[in-house]
Amino acid sequence: MIRGRNIVKRFGPTTAVDGVTFDVTRGETCGLLGPNGAGKTTLMRLLSALSPLTSGELAVAGYDVSRQGRAVRERLGVVTQQDGLDTDLSVRQNLETYGHFSGLSGRQSRRRADEVLGFFGLSERAEDEIDHLSGGMKRRLAIARAFMTEPDVIVLDEPTTGLDPQGRNLVWEKLAVLKASGVTILMSTHYMEEAATLCDRIAIMHLGRILDAGTPDELIERHASAEVAQVRVPTAASTGIRAALAATGCAWREVGTVVHVLGRDGQRPQIPRLDGVRVTYRPGNLEDVFLAVAGRGLGAQ
Amino acid sequence: MKTDAPRIVAGVRWRSVQALWLRHAAALKRIWKVALTWYLVEPAVALVAVGFGIGRLVEEVEGGMRYAVFVAPGIIMASAMIHAIFECSWAVFYRITGGFYETALTAPVTVTELALGDVAWSMTRAVLATLSVGLVAAAFGWITSPWAVGMLLAALLVGMEIGAIGLIFAALSPNTHTLSLVFTVVATPLYFFSGSFFPIAVLPDVLEPVAWVLPLTPGVHVAQGFAWGELSLTHLWSALYMVGLTAVILPLAIYLLKRRLVT
Repeated sequence: MIRGRNIVKRFGPTTAVDGVTFDVTRGETCGLLGPNGAGKTTLMRLLSALSPLTSGELAVAGYDVSRQGRAVRERLGVVTQQDGLDTDLSVRQNLETYGHFSGLSGRQSRRRADEVLGFFGLSERAEDEIDHLSGGMKRRLAIARAFMTEPDVIVLDEPTTGLDPQGRNLVWEKLAVLKASGVTILMSTHYMEEAATLCDRIAIMHLGRILDAGTPDELIERHASAEVAQVRVPTAASTGIRAALAATGCAWREVGTVVHVLGRDGQRPQIPRLDGVRVTYRPGNLEDVFLAVAGRGLGAQ
Repeated sequence: MKTDAPRIVAGVRWRSVQALWLRHAAALKRIWKVALTWYLVEPAVALVAVGFGIGRLVEEVEGGMRYAVFVAPGIIMASAMIHAIFECSWAVFYRITGGFYETALTAPVTVTELALGDVAWSMTRAVLATLSVGLVAAAFGWITSPWAVGMLLAALLVGMEIGAIGLIFAALSPNTHTLSLVFTVVATPLYFFSGSFFPIAVLPDVLEPVAWVLPLTPGVHVAQGFAWGELSLTHLWSALYMVGLTAVILPLAIYLLKRRLVT
């Protein structure tokens, strides 16, 4: 459904996307996992033909984004990172207006808005002002808007960033249903949990490049050790543990007072014994994969 | 979803233009009580102040015409201009920075279609303003000719031409400070030097041609022709001048909007 070859996008001297090649097949849910500034949003804008490619090829549902932008956008639902809701209109009017933009007649828009409002659990808020919705509802409405035209492919840019856990779960639940119905989904995220929960395949993105792609299990097997050490470090011992870890040659990252240590060659990491330091082991995850391939954590700036 | 293939003429899908117009109409309907003050109260105050106030000092202009009768079409066009400027510079600027255009462009619409929709709405606002202020002027007996209905045509031209100029400011302004230049550089000079408050002939000889070139002057001229029921060929030239100016400015505005939105 989506086919990208050597995509490059430059803004003046900065290269936001630096030679990306990827495919998303029909019915697949594919995730772009990477920190802020990895080039995820730029790639999504290229996909919706909102932004011209510097070089390379990109096609959605068989249509070239550079030459057939309108045809691409007729088949593509886009959820931008900012909800982009129209605060001058009601919830329902937001959907209907988008329906009109997409070429639906007044009657088609009204009917489709009813269906979409029902599916996303917003029927009771149909006549409300946008400003009266919670963050999670706004995001659901933004996703609902992309479904006004029953698109073949939907592109979501960080669908749950900024939502509370409850709002996030509701969004995930709806996306899971859509995924089960056969919609092709490409989403970007910097939450490894989100990628692991929803995506069939994940591309690890960093500094405008895709470093590796595969199923979550493949990626973990390839790059992270089966077991990762979680070392809780009291402040007093932090200098000592850093020196000891550096000596082992293992990859590690610090999150607050916990240091996560990957084993070498897939082996369980050996943590030197230090006073007051507690070590537990957990299975490797996508966050560890990112550390291994990008040399830094997902959350770090 | 199956849609009956919307017609595309010269690369423009008119249903998209219509969609934006409908969106603006729906938004206006939601706030009609506040909007009534923009369309009626404000310009009515100007009309009454100038008509009764200055009209008392200036007894008559040009061959015995009452000042209020002289000034009414000009004030009506000034009001149409203000609405067009507000719509296409201020409101469009906020639609750009607020992500409205970005979202709309994820649908199968183009920047050209959005620009045309906004200009169409600017024309609508100019017509609404002309209707409301015109009715107030008629109620005071300052507009009497049945030909005055033709002022709506002048309003369409003003809405189109000034709307296109407003779009340029929206497309170029990095922030609201630069955006406000549209009022100092465009709206204020046009308000006073377009033959609304005094005949252009009273200006110094050097300034007279300048005033005639200004984009609102032909609009005021056409409106005066209809309001006073004195039409001549000069009114046709004025109308054509406005159409010609739009034909130059609107494509430029669309180019600048594309440069801003499609990066």
